[in-house]
Amino acid sequence: MIAIKRSNQFYNFVSIAGVLLLWQLVVSAGLFGKLVPSPVAVFKEFIDMLQNPIGGRSLFMHLWFSIKRVLTAFITAVVTGVPLGLFMGWNKKVDAIVKPVFELLKPIPPIAWIPLAILWFGIGETPKVFICFVGSFVPCVVNSYTGMRYVDPLLIDMTKTFGATRRQQFIDVGLPASLTAVFAGLQNALSLGWMCVLAAELVGAREGVGYIITLGMDTANPAMIIVGMLIIGAVGAAIAVIVRRIERIVCPWKRGITS
Amino acid sequence: MTDLKERRTKVEVKNLTKCYDDLLVLDDVSFEVKEGEFLCIVGPTGCGKTTFLNTLAKFIPATKGDIYVDGVPSNPMIHNLSFVFQEPSCIPWKTVEENIRLGLEIKKIPEQEIKTRVEKVINLVGLQNYRHYYPRQLSSSMEQRVVIARSFVMNPDLLLMDEPYGQLDVKLRYYLEDELIRLWKELNSTVLFVTHNIEEAVYLAERIIVLTPKPAKIKAEVIVDLPRPRDFTAPEFVKIREQVTELIRWW
Ligand SMILES: Nc1ncnc2c1ncn2[C@@H]1O[C@H](COP(=O)(O)OP(=O)(O)OP(=O)(O)O)[C@@H](O)[C@H]1O
Ligand SMILES: [Mg+2]
Repeated sequence: MIAIKRSNQFYNFVSIAGVLLLWQLVVSAGLFGKLVPSPVAVFKEFIDMLQNPIGGRSLFMHLWFSIKRVLTAFITAVVTGVPLGLFMGWNKKVDAIVKPVFELLKPIPPIAWIPLAILWFGIGETPKVFICFVGSFVPCVVNSYTGMRYVDPLLIDMTKTFGATRRQQFIDVGLPASLTAVFAGLQNALSLGWMCVLAAELVGAREGVGYIITLGMDTANPAMIIVGMLIIGAVGAAIAVIVRRIERIVCPWKRGITS
Repeated sequence: MTDLKERRTKVEVKNLTKCYDDLLVLDDVSFEVKEGEFLCIVGPTGCGKTTFLNTLAKFIPATKGDIYVDGVPSNPMIHNLSFVFQEPSCIPWKTVEENIRLGLEIKKIPEQEIKTRVEKVINLVGLQNYRHYYPRQLSSSMEQRVVIARSFVMNPDLLLMDEPYGQLDVKLRYYLEDELIRLWKELNSTVLFVTHNIEEAVYLAERIIVLTPKPAKIKAEVIVDLPRPRDFTAPEFVKIREQVTELIRWW
């Protein structure tokens, strides 16, 4: 078991090192001229960005701005979207009322809301949070809904034999049975929110990771753009890990007996 | 046990008909179950035994007719019944112990009493060392024991069992059959026990109802008036077993 784990880590390392090496080779060969900076140049740029403010703010402040927007939107989306999805899945009437509107709005990509968001809310924080909210809201609703629809009817019947009220059926079976799907939804919601914040920041922001990327473009500094992109990737991966950790705490039955 | 005829009626099935769309499954079935009776229902596969129990427990509506318990239409909210399903029905996210507690918690039994009652049945089904296991960590016969414990712990006065012992090995089945008899006598519950296994029916029942193939009607009723504990090899036992087998074979 341990041997397998080690060798997996080894392959992970090989994969990353391989990509970096290939990247360096391609750049050293001069295939793309100055448009593609080398990994070393990107790393130097990263150190530079850590030390000097960008557009008047430190790198961490920019990151914090983006994360704050995503989290505000995410929490709002979870608090509204998850209950809505669960109740749509649980109650046929709620479903019949909400579903048609939701089905119509669902396929609209969140970034299509940017123009309206700017018209409605101006250029402050609100439109950016709003775009992220739209992005996070949809997976929250969809996954909670699907989770609830796929609850095993046998388990519901089982609680009925004990005389469970509709409320008890919801709490004892409906809700916990949906949790796995809800968590998958939260995972999606966060990554979509994270994508949306960049889109929103690319259009008129003075702070945030999206702004760093735009600044890199405006100042013809591809290394800066790449640092911005890598930060996005790293934060996205970190988010996924955190949500998975929380899921393991909230849904302990998916773990082995030993833990 | 007093004579069956003198006992109060516990369950009354009145002209029960059930169709799934065009498919007629139960065709005008009527019978009574007396208070404290142990009734086995046997019938060929797919004849509508599960459908009957599901109608009784109100999971599905009857097309015509109704089922009365204690003189009123059956209703799990007011009647103290327990149901053992044919399929595994453990809650995957609850441990063995939490699964067994479920019905008691729904009925809002005081915590102290829940504890003592759960302790008793968990030992009865021999799962005391597995109380913190999740169902997916159990074998299917262990899972079925959880379900059986979950229904026994309710001290039900009406126990509905849909081929509950099909999953179990012979030794465990014999053991739990005897436990069921003990529980039935102790609580004076009424038991409706569906099975394929004729020997099991003759071993357990006071009366056996034999159903026809779909659409199910009552083909025959057999009174099993043998002393307990029953002996599989006794000539009277064998005779009744042959009689029921004959009834089922004759289509
Ligand atoms: N929900 C349903 N919709 C349509 N038809 C159904 C439904 N449930 C059962 N049936 C049909 O009703 C008939 C009786 O099914 P039921 O499950 O009651 O049989 P059973 O006697 O319990 O069989 P077994 O001994 O195999 O468990 C079958 O022909 C089945 O196809
Ligand atoms: Mg059946």
